[in-house]
Amino acid sequence: MYEAQRALASPVRNPRMATVIGRLLGAAFLICFGTGLYSHFLQEPLDWMRFATRPEFLYQVTQGTHIITGIACFPLLLAKLYIVFPNLFAYPPVRGIVHFLERASIALFVGASLVQITIGLLNTYQWYPWPFPFRQVHFALGWVLIGLLVIHIAVKLPVITRYWNKSPSSDDEHLSDAVSGDRGSDAEAVRLWGTTRPNGVTGRVLDYIDATPRTASRVSRRGFLTTVGVATTAVVGLTAGQTFTPLNAVNLFAPRKKGVGQQGVPVNRTSEQAKVADAAMAPAWSLTLAVSGTERSFTRDELLALPQTSVQLPIACVEGWSQMASWRGVRLRDLADLMNADPDTSFRLISLEERGSFSKTQMGREYVRDPLTLVALELNGETLDLEHGYPARMIAPGRPGVLQTKWLSRIEAI
Amino acid sequence: MTSLQGGLTPPPAGIEASTGQRMRSIRLVLLGVGVLMLAWGAFVMFDSVRLTRIPGVALWIAAAIVLHDAILAPIVFAFGIALRRVGRRATGTIIAIVQGGIVVGSLVSLVAVPLIVAKNFAPANPTVLPLNYGLNLGIFWLVLAVVTVGLSVWAFLRGRRPDVAFPDDSGR
Repeated sequence: MYEAQRALASPVRNPRMATVIGRLLGAAFLICFGTGLYSHFLQEPLDWMRFATRPEFLYQVTQGTHIITGIACFPLLLAKLYIVFPNLFAYPPVRGIVHFLERASIALFVGASLVQITIGLLNTYQWYPWPFPFRQVHFALGWVLIGLLVIHIAVKLPVITRYWNKSPSSDDEHLSDAVSGDRGSDAEAVRLWGTTRPNGVTGRVLDYIDATPRTASRVSRRGFLTTVGVATTAVVGLTAGQTFTPLNAVNLFAPRKKGVGQQGVPVNRTSEQAKVADAAMAPAWSLTLAVSGTERSFTRDELLALPQTSVQLPIACVEGWSQMASWRGVRLRDLADLMNADPDTSFRLISLEERGSFSKTQMGREYVRDPLTLVALELNGETLDLEHGYPARMIAPGRPGVLQTKWLSRIEAI
Repeated sequence: MTSLQGGLTPPPAGIEASTGQRMRSIRLVLLGVGVLMLAWGAFVMFDSVRLTRIPGVALWIAAAIVLHDAILAPIVFAFGIALRRVGRRATGTIIAIVQGGIVVGSLVSLVAVPLIVAKNFAPANPTVLPLNYGLNLGIFWLVLAVVTVGLSVWAFLRGRRPDVAFPDDSGR
């Protein structure tokens, strides 16, 4: 174990570097957790919850940040694991119950972190090669990881505070005493093997490793930090174009591309998946509003005859992509007023789609009363495409795409 | 053993003197909060995921640890050794540049290759995975190679004295 640690020693593998990368990674985890909770509660609000409807691109930013930060975690997490890797060979492996719990929590932390960012990334292109449900596990692991992060900070707090600021000596301290090759460790080796080095193949391999030239510490550290910085910039910069327009030109590796889709807008759930094509194209379609016992149905022509409003709103998906578009239709507020609905009423939106977890969703009164919230009939100057929710869909500021109900069938006051 | 491995056992000399009791209480509070959040996460997991699916989660977590600790990390280690051997006449700066270039390329590939694989499995609709990711990755590696070689040449021409330090063997 001592030899393994010694062979793995590197100027990069020191507590100061662990602190530098660790606090970036910790911040990234907290950002992912915060934006993730926001998205979760938008989709499953508790009764008392009310949400901001401005700025209208709020969800585009929070969820875009969630995905971008998650992608940034790939280089940051691997860098952190690279730095602390020699600790895997800590000797003795377990020194007692507390030490065992600490190491077990680290193992779970590492494994769960890798799983969390991997399933999150694959979910952005709807690829699910794992034997468990994504949403529930991703949400539960979020809590697990933040709990483990706080525990990890508690355990390492003396190290973190000691190496938070750069000190002249901190650069040259390695992760463990064994690694620095001090005499005490050599004595331990002599006790184990009768020599400073095991015989046979192991010894020869270790000699080979020892004979390899080592890069000067300063170069090695600078190179490492630059590499982590460039890698993080690259994975973020080459994928964030699906969310943020200025990076659209260098969008090489995002699962979505701005402007690609019917009427220039990407599609998530298709009419085929939702099995709504027949019902949506039926001439007899009408939108029913139900408020305190009164029901009234509107054909598409009747909706078009009502005062029309044009808005510029992004459609922003949980998967991180977003697309600005111009929508035209009837203000939901006007329809609610037509039905004499109380201004404090929240609504339930029901799609023609019969199955699917978002075929029935709720809309809080803050969105119902917002002048930008429309029952949209047109998109980018044309009649709404079937894939975008023809005959009518919901569009509201600052809500996730799954709540912008397509193929509307019925709107009820709750 | 230094502090990184010290865990909850008393911190090493030089640390406890300046912090002492306050540090201890902050750590205990953090530990309590962390354990509560961890427990809540476990509860949410068992509450919302069917029991028969939980082993799948555990399996993936275990596989991730093995994949990193037993496969990825040794490969990276061997690669570092090999590179330093091959480039033993090069300066440390050039080695760092080449190493950095390969690591950046690998990390971008890590994000890009799943896109290429997933695209073969017929994406949900034509607006999902619309780009030619294989071509994009090729272009990226090409640009990266040009930049890496360019930087290496620049570092070489700067003609600094070699800053590769051979390990001293005084310890043996």
